[in-house]
Amino acid sequence: MGQCLRYQMHWEDLEEYQALTFLTRNEILCIHDTFLKLCPPGKYYKEAMLTMDQVSSLPALRVNPFRDRICRVFSHNGVFSFEDVLGMASVFSERACPSLKIEYAFRIYDFNENGFIDEEDLQEIILRLLNSDDISEDLLMDLTNHVLSESDLDNDNMLSFSEFEHAMARSPDFMNSFRIHFWGC
Amino acid sequence: MSESSASALQLGRPSRQPAVHPENLSLDTSCFSSPSVNFLQELPSYRSIARRRTTVHSRDKQSGTLLKSTNSYNSQLEDRIAENLSSQSLRNYALNISEKRRLRDIQETQMKYLSEWDQWKRYSSKSWKRFLEKAREMTTHLELWREDIRSIEGKFGTGIQSYFSFLRFLVLLNLVIFLIIFMLVLLPILLTKYKITNSSFVLIPFKDTDIQCTVYPVSSSGLIYFYSYIIDLLSGTVTPSLYGHSDFLSFPSFVNNAVGNHYVLPTYNVSAISVLSFTLLESVEGFKINLIRSEEHFQSYCNKIFAGWDFCITNRSMADLKHSSLRYELRADLEEERIRQKIAERTSEETIRIYSLRLFLNCIVLAVLGACFYAIYVATVFSQEHMKKEIDKMVFGENLLILYLPSIVITLANFITPMIFAKIIRYEDYSPGFEIRLTILRCVFMRLATICVLVFTLGSKITSCDDDTCDLCGYNQKLYPCWETQVGQEMYKLMIFDFIIILAVTLFVDFPRKLLVTYCSSWKLIQCWGQQEFAIPDNVLGIVYGQTICWIGAFFSPLLPAIATLKFIIIFYVKEVRSRHCTRPKKTPDGIFFFLRWSLFFLSIPSSKACGPFTNFNTTWEVIPKTVSTFPSSLQSFIHGVTSEAFAVPFFMIICLIMFYFIALAGAHKRVVIQLREQLSL
Repeated sequence: MGQCLRYQMHWEDLEEYQALTFLTRNEILCIHDTFLKLCPPGKYYKEAMLTMDQVSSLPALRVNPFRDRICRVFSHNGVFSFEDVLGMASVFSERACPSLKIEYAFRIYDFNENGFIDEEDLQEIILRLLNSDDISEDLLMDLTNHVLSESDLDNDNMLSFSEFEHAMARSPDFMNSFRIHFWGC
Repeated sequence: MSESSASALQLGRPSRQPAVHPENLSLDTSCFSSPSVNFLQELPSYRSIARRRTTVHSRDKQSGTLLKSTNSYNSQLEDRIAENLSSQSLRNYALNISEKRRLRDIQETQMKYLSEWDQWKRYSSKSWKRFLEKAREMTTHLELWREDIRSIEGKFGTGIQSYFSFLRFLVLLNLVIFLIIFMLVLLPILLTKYKITNSSFVLIPFKDTDIQCTVYPVSSSGLIYFYSYIIDLLSGTVTPSLYGHSDFLSFPSFVNNAVGNHYVLPTYNVSAISVLSFTLLESVEGFKINLIRSEEHFQSYCNKIFAGWDFCITNRSMADLKHSSLRYELRADLEEERIRQKIAERTSEETIRIYSLRLFLNCIVLAVLGACFYAIYVATVFSQEHMKKEIDKMVFGENLLILYLPSIVITLANFITPMIFAKIIRYEDYSPGFEIRLTILRCVFMRLATICVLVFTLGSKITSCDDDTCDLCGYNQKLYPCWETQVGQEMYKLMIFDFIIILAVTLFVDFPRKLLVTYCSSWKLIQCWGQQEFAIPDNVLGIVYGQTICWIGAFFSPLLPAIATLKFIIIFYVKEVRSRHCTRPKKTPDGIFFFLRWSLFFLSIPSSKACGPFTNFNTTWEVIPKTVSTFPSSLQSFIHGVTSEAFAVPFFMIICLIMFYFIALAGAHKRVVIQLREQLSL
């Protein structure tokens, strides 16, 4: 775990990242710093890759029960480039628009990646949220059925993207909860 | 060109599109062919439905006209391609950065085919938006306590963070009010008093007053002994800007016309209106959130499971707490539902029994409230009567005790009654969520009612007299030559005492508890008792109560908002330090905290003749008609027209009609939603 080559970010790159993401200048520079500390030595930051473990153990994600899914969704071929990290921070920033957050939340919660949040996914979500060893089957089924009865509109026992979007658009806490401060500065 | 952009877009989206049920799609198009729904699409509220159906990007103003198209899959693609022309929406695409870069290059080549004018328009709108963003970034740096609140949010989640944001809002509000009052009222007086500007005081005599009413015995502030200075500071007699200060006998006239003496009322009106509009704006937000949340039984599980985890949390212990609180909440929700089913299955006998029990317990609650109010009344009367004694005839502690007696009684009442209410509500057999809300409501009512009782007691004391001396000036002139001062002093004492209690509780109760838990953690008893919660409803209630006192007192004592600002700043830091050592955040309450009431009793008592800017008028309200009468005649007739009956009644009827129209519209929308849902599940 050494350090990347200490290149200052070009001004045009900074401007481009600002235009393409929801991050501010300071946030981009902070993430750049953190990235440089973590990436393998001797590489230019634009070519360096971080492993999923390295990103999972960032302080912002360390205690998140969904960190493996987050890393899975935002990485490409199992590794993170600098732009992948920026993209992840942009989605979780407080300025991001609701539709973008809902889109990525759907991908994160879809554990088996079949394009739907089905009962299996819901049970996995609940288990991760409760993080306890003694959850009875009844409790799980009860909660799963409640969620499906509230948001499953076409009665196919799974949530499609539009149903999920509909539910999240009416949820008052979603925008506030789905935020991460990635930088430590 | 359009194919490549379409394919570029499809790259970013996973295999969701093919997985969409074909029935859904065909139902989508068939739904929108029925005439009633087509009609509804033309209404402005269609935008809200349309907005929810968009998946990837937000709708810009430029492409607003495209909203009217039906939402079949093909037109969505066309929308997206057309929207390619506005680059601001690039961020909203769910693509990674390299794909966005490709899109942007496509956009830029597309731009070349636009006319010069369109190109210039795009360029200028882009640079304007960039400028706005930079300005917004600059202003966020000016936010007070930005890093503190960020770190609190990161460690403890958004519940506790909302409390601190509210505290910051109140600090800024009080600061603004104080600045308004200072600039427009205190500054001219101070400038004139110390002869910095070339203005003078003008004494405007009132025609029919008895000369006795204007006599104000200015007590000499003999600050010989240190403790008498402390007493004066604590009792508020030497605060330099209490209302009844002798310089308020008259008011500097800046301009040589008759309007000069109406200078002061507009400032109070401005601050009152700004304060009321702030509360209105905040309560509107609270209303909106309440309307969404009114479907609470309907939404709560989705909300708790998909938005239940606060992604901000970085602290391991906070994460464990969040897990346990989620466990508790989900179990409690299921339990609540079971209880609700049980309630629905109650027999009529049981219902009658429960209702009579509830009636009885509510009578007990009322009796408790009545006892507290009576105690406050007695304490206030006692304190007012004995305050007139000489300082050196009394012992130091006894004097302070008498001065602060109403505050002590109020604080004790506010401390004991929540415990009593919590005990009583257990027998009333409500569902747990409703129990919490009812308890909070009762505590809020208790706090605000105690202030009202205090104010009314003072009012009755001021206007009561043994013989006919009240008729001369309208109030008890002998004992209260400047009654506004007394009220201001009472509010000041209440505020100081409240502040002392908050500090004392934090220092002498919370920290020892924390020390006990850390160092004697082997004892199970200490573990159980010592675990502290950051009870957000109680804390919010505390600061709302403090703010209410400040607003009531602000009219009588212009310095009170400044004191409140300082108090809230100190409380912010104290609570921040305390919260670092504390644990579970409780459930946050709804928007009921945004309703604060003005006590308007000063409008009914005649304003004191001897001091203050309102010496010329019988009541403070009279200034407004007098001011209106000095307006130019066209404006006057306009105002008279607006406030007359011929205008007010039709206006009221039209407002009612508009309200009924919106209610009917909302009902129609609800019916259509139910219809569509039934169709979807077929």
